[in-house]
Amino acid sequence: MPQGMYKSGRLRKIFVKTPGGRTTVQYRQRKPRAAVCSTCKKPLLGVPRELPSKMVNMPKTMKRPERPYGGILCSPCMRRRVQQEARSEK
Amino acid sequence: MTLFSIGRICVKLAGRDAGRKCVVVDTIDDRFVVVDGNVRRKRVNTRHLEPLAETIEIKSKASHSDVKTAFEKLGEVVWEKKSKTPAARPRQVKKKHAAEEEKSMKKPVTKKVSSKKTTKPVEATPDIIESVEKTSVETKE
Repeated sequence: MPQGMYKSGRLRKIFVKTPGGRTTVQYRQRKPRAAVCSTCKKPLLGVPRELPSKMVNMPKTMKRPERPYGGILCSPCMRRRVQQEARSEK
Repeated sequence: MTLFSIGRICVKLAGRDAGRKCVVVDTIDDRFVVVDGNVRRKRVNTRHLEPLAETIEIKSKASHSDVKTAFEKLGEVVWEKKSKTPAARPRQVKKKHAAEEEKSMKKPVTKKVSSKKTTKPVEATPDIIESVEKTSVETKE
């Protein structure tokens, strides 16, 4: 039987095949939810789904697309917003 | 006559230059144009451009410097290409050579003078005051 702390489902299971042929269960931390667009709530592409400890060591360019509103809005929503801004200027 | 004729000022909608102003410099076909200005000079789809009401007088296939002068008249900024100068990489030297190099590089060791100076508070004697006044007068003249 697994220990009590492994029964709650807090950690995800990984089945690992050992060199001896047995399969054992290892427990890993669950990944955070995928980043979503703030208007349409669709998952954002180009934003890695990693633990905060890994995200800290990543360069900025790897964490979000290099465009205005990158990592906050998806590209169609961003285009719509930029278009509205351009039209409302004049 | 299309909306994206030469000299039309637009806003880019897609990519890293989105939201920046540009001007149509050349038309390739009914779908693609070449833009320049506060963006990277490149061929773009007109679906990625939002035309504005303004147009400027500019030659067909105008160079970047021409666009720059035209944009400066409007009071707009122009995107300039940053020249990439790679940083000097640290030279890897083998351990044997490194030891030899260090020997040759070593300079005759000079004794470090202790930075702590024992300065006594100088009393303002009349001689010193006179000399200071003299120098100040000279500098004024």
